[in-house]
Amino acid sequence: MTNVGFAMPWLLLAALSALIPWLASGQPPLRYSSLTVAPTDRVSTLIDRAVRLSASLGLIALVVAVAGPYRREQTVERLGFGAEIVLLIDRSSSMNESFVGRYLGGAARETKGAVAREILTDFVTRRKDDLFAVVAFSAAPIYVLPLTQDRGAVSAAVRSSTERGHGITNIGSGLAMALDFFEGRRKGGARIILLVSDGAARIEEETRERLHQAFSDTDARLYWIYLRNRTGVHLDAPPENPGESTTPEYFLHQFFQTLGSPYRAYEAENADALRLAVADIEALENDPLPYLEKIPRQDLSTYGYVAALVFLLPLLASRALEVDRWRF
Amino acid sequence: MTSGDRPFRWRLWLAVLAAVLTAVAIAHPRVPFERNVFRYFFVIDITQSMNVRDYHVTGQPADRLGFVKQTLAEALFELPCGSEVGLGLFTTRNAELLFEPLEVCEHLPIITDVLSHIDWRMAWAADSYIATGLYNALRQVGQRKPATRLVFLSDGQQTPDEAITPPFMGKAGEVKGVVVGVGGSQPMLVPKLDRENRQTGYWENADLTAPEDRTPTQQFEAQAIPETPPSGFYLSRLHEDHLKRLAATTGLDYLRLNRAEDLRHALRSDKYAEPQRVQVDLAPLLAGLAWLLLIASYWRMPRLRRPAVAR
Repeated sequence: MTNVGFAMPWLLLAALSALIPWLASGQPPLRYSSLTVAPTDRVSTLIDRAVRLSASLGLIALVVAVAGPYRREQTVERLGFGAEIVLLIDRSSSMNESFVGRYLGGAARETKGAVAREILTDFVTRRKDDLFAVVAFSAAPIYVLPLTQDRGAVSAAVRSSTERGHGITNIGSGLAMALDFFEGRRKGGARIILLVSDGAARIEEETRERLHQAFSDTDARLYWIYLRNRTGVHLDAPPENPGESTTPEYFLHQFFQTLGSPYRAYEAENADALRLAVADIEALENDPLPYLEKIPRQDLSTYGYVAALVFLLPLLASRALEVDRWRF
Repeated sequence: MTSGDRPFRWRLWLAVLAAVLTAVAIAHPRVPFERNVFRYFFVIDITQSMNVRDYHVTGQPADRLGFVKQTLAEALFELPCGSEVGLGLFTTRNAELLFEPLEVCEHLPIITDVLSHIDWRMAWAADSYIATGLYNALRQVGQRKPATRLVFLSDGQQTPDEAITPPFMGKAGEVKGVVVGVGGSQPMLVPKLDRENRQTGYWENADLTAPEDRTPTQQFEAQAIPETPPSGFYLSRLHEDHLKRLAATTGLDYLRLNRAEDLRHALRSDKYAEPQRVQVDLAPLLAGLAWLLLIASYWRMPRLRRPAVAR
C-alpha cells in the first residue's frame, strides 16, 4: 500500500468518529415495564452489532474518501523503439541570420534559429518514445535539460533555445557536455547527439582528444545539421582557400569524420532541406529502447464514497424499521 | 394508533440525507471556481560576483548563487498547481531563457534539476551590464503571455563600471515583477575559481582588463570612467541603490533577499497573481457534510419525546 497517498492525511484523524456507533445506540429509548422479563435474543444482538459495525465502517469510508486517497504516479518499464537524443543547439549570434545570410533581427521568423526551432519542436512531439536532453552552447555550454521523457519540458526548452543568440561558438565544450549525459548510463537504444549549428567554430587540439575518447566510451553517434548560408562552404568540397579561420566548418567536418563513431552531416540551406534531414534521422534511429511509462496519479476517493454508501444502507434500513412504541 | 401521529424520525432522515449526499459525491459534481496562479520567469545572475560567500543562514549555502538556487527551489514547491515557471540566466547584456514557463506541479522534478545545475561556468562572458541585461530580460518577458512576471535576481555588481546607466526604452510597469537584491552590503572578496570549480584565489583589480567588445559609444564613455585602482582585491557587495533605481525606472518592485522566507512570501503575493478558473470537485464537501449529519444522528435526546408520550 506504499503507493497510495492522501492529499490531506491529517483528516484521517477524524476516523476516530467510527467509535461513535459503539458508544451511542442511535436509537430512541423505549419504555418497557421490565427488561428482565424480555429474553436475550441472539439474533437481535447480532443484528445490532452488524448495524453498528456497518455504520462505523461507513464513517471510516467517508473520512478516508474526504482525505483524498490517490494512487501515486507510477512508472512502468516498457520497450519502445527510439533513441536517446541530446539536442545540442548553437546559440551564437550567427544563428540570427536568415539562410540567405542577411541579418534580419530578432523578430524575423525566417531566421535560421526560428526555422530550426519550428522543425525541432515538430520532431520532438512526434518522437513519442525517445528520451531527449537539451544543451545550448555559445561561448560556454549551458545545461538546459537532462535526458527526460517530459515532452512538455523538451519542447518548452526548444522553443526558447533559439531566441536571439549571442557570443562566439565554442562547439567543443558543448559536445563534451552532451557526451556527459551518456557517461555512466545504462545503454538502451541508440545514442544520438543532434548538433544544430551553422558551424563557424573550431575545436582546440586538446579538446579533440577528449572528444575522441568520450565518443568511443559512450558509443554515441553524431548528426550535424549544418545550417548553411547560401554563401557558406560546402562540407564535402574542399574550399578554394582552406584555413581554420575562413572555413572552420570544413575542418570541423573533417574532424568529425575521424571520430570513429557513426557520423553524418546534413547541409540544410533552407527550411525544406532541414525538414528532410530530420526525417532522415527519424527513419534511421529506431533501436529497441527500454523506457519508463508514467501512469499518472489516480484519484481513489470514488471507491470510498461507494463503500460509504453501501455501509450506510443497513443503518438506513434499521432506522426505517424502527418502532417508536410497542404495539401488541 | 396509526403511524400518522408518529413523532418526526429525525435520526432516519439525517441518515437518509447523509446517504443521498454520499450518492451525489460519487458523481463528483464540479463547480467553477477562481483561484490564484502565478507565471514567473526567473532570471538569475550567474556572473562571478555571485560566487561571493556572504550568506550566513544555517542549512543554506553561503554563496549568493547557491543561496538563490536553494531559495528558489523551496519557493517553487509552494506555488499553487497551475502556476508556471521559466528559468533564464543573465550575464553580459543578455538574459538567456532556458525554457518557456512550465506548469509547476507536473514538471517540478525537471525544473528543480535544471535549477540545481545552474552554474557560473555557463556564463558566455564574464562582464555584467545589469541595466542592459534587465532591459533585455524585460523585453523578452514582455513578448510572452501577458501576466508573465519577471523575477530578476542579481547582486547589482557591474563589471566594468558604467558611468552612465543606459536609458530604459520600454514602458515602465508594462511587465510586472520584482528585482531581487542578492548579497550583503559589506564589500567581500570574490573567489577566483578554475573550470573545475576549485578555488585558486581571489579576484584582484589587476586581473580586470578593459572589455574588448566595446562599442564606440562605450569607448567614449570609458574615457569618463575613473580608472580602476590597479592594486588590491576586487571587492563585491550588493549594490542595492543601483538595483532599487533600476527597479523604479522599469516599474518593478524591489526585494532584498535576506532570508529564504522573504522570497517565498513575495512570490505568493496577490500582486503577481493571475486568477485562473478551475473546476473544483464538490465531492469532499458533500461527503464531509454527510459525515457530520451521520454523527449528529447519534445525538442522544431522550427527554425530547416525553411530553409527546405523556399527552
